[in-house]
Amino acid sequence: MSFFENLKAQVLYNPEEPILFNSAFFLFFFAAFLCCYQLVRKNERGRVWVFTLFSLYFFYKACGAYVGLVILSAIVDFYLSNRIHAEKEERTRRILLWLSILINIGMLFYFKYTDFFINIINGVSNGHISPLNLLLPIGISFYTFENLSYTIDVYRKEIKPVDNFMDYLFFLSFFPKLMMGPIVRAADFIPQIKQPYNINQEDVGKGMFLILGGLFKKVVISDLIYQNYVQYIFDDPTRYTGIECLFGVYAYALVIYCDFSGYSDMAIGIARWMGFKIPPNFDKPYKSSSITEFWRRWHISLSSWLRDYIYIPLGGNRKGKVRQYVNLMLTMLIGGFWHGASWNFIFWGGVHGGALGLDKLWGQWNKKIAWFKATPARARLWKIGGVLFTFHLVCFCWIFFKAATFGSAWDLIHQVTFNFQGHLFFQLIGAYPQVFLLMAIGYILHFLPDVAEQKLEFRLGKLPVWGSVAVLVLFIWFLAQVKSLEPMIPIYLQF
Amino acid sequence: MSSGNKHPYPFVIVLGTLCCLGVLSLINNSFSFGHHTTRPLDILADLKKEEETQEPETATIPAAAQKDSTTIAATMAPPIDYATYPGIIEYGDRNSGMRSFVNALKALRAGQRKKVRIAYFGDSMIEGDLITQDLRDSLQHYFGGEGVGFVPATSVVSGFRTSIRHSFSGNWMDYHFKNIPPKGTELGISGHVFLPAAQSWVKYQPANKETFEEVSLLYGSGGGEVMINNKPLRLDGKNSLNAKSFISDSTQNSLTLQFKTSTLFYGACFESPAGVFLDNYSFRGISGIELGKLSKNMWMQMQSVRPYDLIVLHYGANVLFLPENTKFDWYERPMVKVVDSLRQLFPNTSFLIVGTADKAYKKKGKYVTAPGVKALMKIQHNFAESRGMAYWNLFSAMGGEGAMARWVEGDTTYANKDYTHFNFRGASKIGGLLYKAIMDEYKQEQL
Repeated sequence: MSFFENLKAQVLYNPEEPILFNSAFFLFFFAAFLCCYQLVRKNERGRVWVFTLFSLYFFYKACGAYVGLVILSAIVDFYLSNRIHAEKEERTRRILLWLSILINIGMLFYFKYTDFFINIINGVSNGHISPLNLLLPIGISFYTFENLSYTIDVYRKEIKPVDNFMDYLFFLSFFPKLMMGPIVRAADFIPQIKQPYNINQEDVGKGMFLILGGLFKKVVISDLIYQNYVQYIFDDPTRYTGIECLFGVYAYALVIYCDFSGYSDMAIGIARWMGFKIPPNFDKPYKSSSITEFWRRWHISLSSWLRDYIYIPLGGNRKGKVRQYVNLMLTMLIGGFWHGASWNFIFWGGVHGGALGLDKLWGQWNKKIAWFKATPARARLWKIGGVLFTFHLVCFCWIFFKAATFGSAWDLIHQVTFNFQGHLFFQLIGAYPQVFLLMAIGYILHFLPDVAEQKLEFRLGKLPVWGSVAVLVLFIWFLAQVKSLEPMIPIYLQF
Repeated sequence: MSSGNKHPYPFVIVLGTLCCLGVLSLINNSFSFGHHTTRPLDILADLKKEEETQEPETATIPAAAQKDSTTIAATMAPPIDYATYPGIIEYGDRNSGMRSFVNALKALRAGQRKKVRIAYFGDSMIEGDLITQDLRDSLQHYFGGEGVGFVPATSVVSGFRTSIRHSFSGNWMDYHFKNIPPKGTELGISGHVFLPAAQSWVKYQPANKETFEEVSLLYGSGGGEVMINNKPLRLDGKNSLNAKSFISDSTQNSLTLQFKTSTLFYGACFESPAGVFLDNYSFRGISGIELGKLSKNMWMQMQSVRPYDLIVLHYGANVLFLPENTKFDWYERPMVKVVDSLRQLFPNTSFLIVGTADKAYKKKGKYVTAPGVKALMKIQHNFAESRGMAYWNLFSAMGGEGAMARWVEGDTTYANKDYTHFNFRGASKIGGLLYKAIMDEYKQEQL
């Protein structure tokens, strides 16, 4: 193919190669965007237009024609929120709000859950409705949630709707967070549009740290461990011993954390370089000593969204103890279902909901057994026990989150319980040395005190421009080496 | 920290990086240190890439064009290309290849003999009775016979095996290829021997049928007692391998063996009075050369208590652990020795070498057939040819070049994401393909 044909193929949407932050194409895209952004930096409208157009193009590169859905949902919610704001009569306001909820949830359900319900109907009634096999528009879960929170906030009179459509489209399509979150609240974001493009040394350092750290988590830790270990285990757990399966689960816990948080970090870092502050989405979740704490540290933007727009509207803790537990459970079940249309996710949400309820109960009882925390040594031991317990509970739930079917999740648990074969530990490490080295690095970094990160961030912030360029070039070279590593061909552990 | 607006920084940093990487891409940036060569970095690769030229493939014969194996005889005219032929290729004289096995099947069909046995050796590809279960079922359906054949005392994959339900106490001592058995503890041809402790037990339950029929216990020298569903059975082993057969109590559908002896135990065999029986001898993680650790005496005694008409050797997955390696001297020499000695020990037994399955690895983002596959296939074919054994090219039967990737990535998956092992569907398909290949040989002999 000629250079121009290649160029055309690169610029147009290709379903087999959607744009990702860790692709070479993104680097060109980002440079072009930054160039245009610099040109219009003094003009607020110019910034909004440049950012929005680049965002829409980014989304087009990620999922083709579905870019229309973002524009459509922006139009609908911009219009409805303004109507809600202008409307004085409560009943009409409520109808408009429900209309917005119906459209948003309807769209999400249509794309994400139609086949799930068709399967249920077929199962219950012995029917033969063909599944639609719709392609899920990338990021739909995120922008739907953002739309909902925006309209609900306007309805609650917590925020005033934006009066310029482009501002709203800019907020919704903001490319750093469009595909995988975090879920950004309009109330936090839109006021920042009006701010001049002004960043300081700290923003540069912090942004760089987040982008590099996110790439490292995603490309080095998550992808490598997933491709060379986790996917084998979860593909067919019955063929692996219990210890292989158990470490498969520990590995997956790290993979999913690094994948989600790595992407979030990159999004937050890029936004930071553009002068937008998005709060952190993950705060070392495996350091949590209780499941409640875990949900304060894991996917913070999602858990706070679920709290504010599901748990609280359901009544939260204001309608008595029993209702509080029911509300918690419902919120987590919905949260589970949001992650994907399968019983596995519902079960995952259900176990988390149950665990949160038990944790609340335990908290009340805990006050009576202060003895456990009476001395610093005991308190420390208590804390370590809590961290280990919480981590394992979360890991148990990940099994259902990751396994393709319920049966496969139980197969894995069966292997860990009845076919453990712990003596194979050293053989296991020997069989996958790179994977276990990375796993160790991943977990050590996770449990390092925050000071270490702050120091690195500070150093990056102090680098001169050429220093930053050198760091970035070296880092990308390193990523390219890692990405092209020959994958290990696994053999089942010898016994 | 200096203050002031640093808004150009991100742009300058990204542009600077892009320029540096662009310049780097124009020059040769791959360098070696020690044995490691770094991969070249080229951010312009996507713009430079050419349409990939298709390598001239060793074409796989399309199903319709495949030669019917009836055309293959010992004196066949145009030579068959072992690399692409999906049926069984015969090598050797009157008794070798598949001939004596096919004759045994014919005699069985004609009522001139009661049993025909197959010993199927392999690695993790056949563990849990994968492949062999389907092959056995098909053969038994055609030639008669009930029972899953040999089942060891304990197994890492007992929970995974669906052809028999198998449980055991945790206090068995398992000596095998990978640990060092004490002196005088002779490994059985399965590669294992089991030493019972006080109260060791094994329970076998048929998966489908109501009850077992003929059961044989394979054990070492020495006496002692085994309680079979609480009824005692005396063992009196004079050789290093002995078989004690009995008819299972038809009122009970499970068999619990409790050992009150320290006699070594090899396993139990389940059969019916007549038919074809296939023993699955899987051993995870081996390449086949381990069979050389078994004593001549053990092979001979096994053949006297449980004679096999066909011995299948199905290995390869563990030889290909480095996908780009194509040198297998370390494997070829000892494996040829194993094959050689087996041929000499059993001159009248049929041997079938099942060539390696396809194994894929990721290259430039795509899963492709590992270069080692064809090199290994050639070695396996050559020792089958030179030792007068039959050869079945599994790689070719499953679709040749790129087959594993298709089996993993197709709408219906037939193999696991390790691009090496078949799942139960794929194993069943392989069992069916091998059955067809064997039956082609059988029917051709009928003509």
